[in-house]
Amino acid sequence: MTAVGRSRWVTFLLYGSLTVLGMVWLVPALSALMISTLPLSQTRAGWWNLSPADLTFGNFARAWEQGLSRYAVNSFIITGLAVALTVAAGSMAAYAYARMSFRFKATTYFLLVTTMIVPVQIILIPMLPWFRTLGLNAAGPQEYLGIALVHTAFGAGWAIFMLGAFFAQIPEDLLEAARIDGAGWFDVFRRVALPLAVPGIVSFAIIDFVFVWNDLLLALTLLDRAHQPLTVGLANLQTPHLAQEDLVSAGTIMAILPPLLLFAALNRFYVRGLFAGATKG
Amino acid sequence: MASRRTTTVAPTPPETAPPPAAGPAPRRVRSRPERFAPYIFVAPLLAVFALFYLWPALVTVLSSFFRWGLLRPWTPVDPARWRFVGLDNYTTTLTDPSFWNAALNTAVWLVVFPLLVVGFSLLVSILIWHITRGATMFRTVFILPLTISLAAAGVIWSFVYNADPQIGVLNAVLDRLGILGAHWRVGPLELHPGSWLSNPGVLHLGFADIRLTNLALIVPAFWAFTGFGVITITAGLTAVPYELVEAAKVDGANAWQTARRILIPSLRRPLIVVGVVSVIFALRTFDIVYVMTGGGPAQDTMVLALLLWQQAFAFLDTPQGGQATAIAVLMSAVLVAGSWPYLRQLMAGRSR
Repeated sequence: MTAVGRSRWVTFLLYGSLTVLGMVWLVPALSALMISTLPLSQTRAGWWNLSPADLTFGNFARAWEQGLSRYAVNSFIITGLAVALTVAAGSMAAYAYARMSFRFKATTYFLLVTTMIVPVQIILIPMLPWFRTLGLNAAGPQEYLGIALVHTAFGAGWAIFMLGAFFAQIPEDLLEAARIDGAGWFDVFRRVALPLAVPGIVSFAIIDFVFVWNDLLLALTLLDRAHQPLTVGLANLQTPHLAQEDLVSAGTIMAILPPLLLFAALNRFYVRGLFAGATKG
Repeated sequence: MASRRTTTVAPTPPETAPPPAAGPAPRRVRSRPERFAPYIFVAPLLAVFALFYLWPALVTVLSSFFRWGLLRPWTPVDPARWRFVGLDNYTTTLTDPSFWNAALNTAVWLVVFPLLVVGFSLLVSILIWHITRGATMFRTVFILPLTISLAAAGVIWSFVYNADPQIGVLNAVLDRLGILGAHWRVGPLELHPGSWLSNPGVLHLGFADIRLTNLALIVPAFWAFTGFGVITITAGLTAVPYELVEAAKVDGANAWQTARRILIPSLRRPLIVVGVVSVIFALRTFDIVYVMTGGGPAQDTMVLALLLWQQAFAFLDTPQGGQATAIAVLMSAVLVAGSWPYLRQLMAGRSR
């Protein structure tokens, strides 16, 4: 962009206001980061007065030993399982909704899309008895599967909406050419459509990862203590009357890092995918 | 759409041109497996959807007409234990002062949160759009909190709000300015800067006092969610030709006029998206309140999603399951009704 006739002080004003706002935006996260790397005594004296010699990773080690490791493992299992299921079932269905015609297409599409709007609360209350009926609650690894399937159901709307946008962009000629070459319907999907939709699938997988990783409500309601993820661990640690800012902040930083790193590594994909899903009709 | 673009590359006779994104184009002889293919493609997702969304949602709606508690939940397969109460759960809920308190707090969220998100992300996006160097960096700063869970955002802001000026950065700043613990009264507005999560202020409206603790919880959600607005509005801004803005400038338009007459009209769609998604987000608010205040002090920050959860899961001994499901049904009905035009638009855009 060129700035025709923009005076120097307008530029200064733009950068000045953005810098101030950006710093305000960073301070909360910075404060958690600082508290997590300082001994509690130092935190009590104001983290902004720190001297670099006080920095320590001890809080992380202690938080990890005091149970956060189990929460973290649970987070990874639940999120990995949910994202894998949603991407697998979602990309097949999204392909069908974007490129094929079948009975009840509009009706089922509408029902799936409502998952983007209707709050989770609509299914939350009968879910535990329902899990009991399906054998998904019995304290064991099947709890992971249960919550992952609920996440899959709630990701269904986003999956067909976002992934459908990518499948719809594939030129029909390419699919037709594969069909003429004798490829069966599944081969057309697996060898032609799927590879072309990889950018879309990656961005969807990242968004779904962030979404599932950050869920508190479902995990709090549906899982027993041994299977709860980091978000629940944080909520349990965060009791106002117990002075353990060191542990809580360390846990917070650990809970933030995986989605943040994933986002940073694949920033381009993420933004493009969200754009395709959010603003294109 | 995309298929139309391909016809310009390789012109095809109109009768073989595929209908945009509607299905396989030429309806030639379709082999049997090909006719079943779409059903096989949608079956796994629809099965999970039916089992873990449709059925429980149906049970929620049905069970809201019965009296039951969590210890003996309502099930559709056991008619012997049904205690049908008609609309009692709804009338009880709608005459319950704690419901209206939570509804009022949720209403504050529904108004304030979308306004903050839309306004601030519009401002930031336009500011960044005007600069060249460092645009990506600034954008990243505002987008990053979007990846932080609301539970973590709640914890982070509990540190910021900490009442002790030796720990909480906000009160440390107020302390330096010498206004920590001040009491101000401006017309109907009463402010006590410092006690953010207990009682930062009251708005005396005569018929009701609105406590501002709610606002202290809206800020962290706004902080975390603004990134969505920045992404969406920035994407919309890339479609605005910068020459148009320069032309307006040559014609003597100032920054405000340019924003109002050129940018905001061409950002209509992304702004609607951000607004609608923020409203949906605000009505679902649970995590922040659960982590930061648990609805307190004295129900001051209670919202519908948390009230429902407490009635369903926190008080095991009282048979309030029916009322909890009634709240869930009311919330969902409000959201679906409110976003109906938007849903229709989505439908029109995609599937026939």
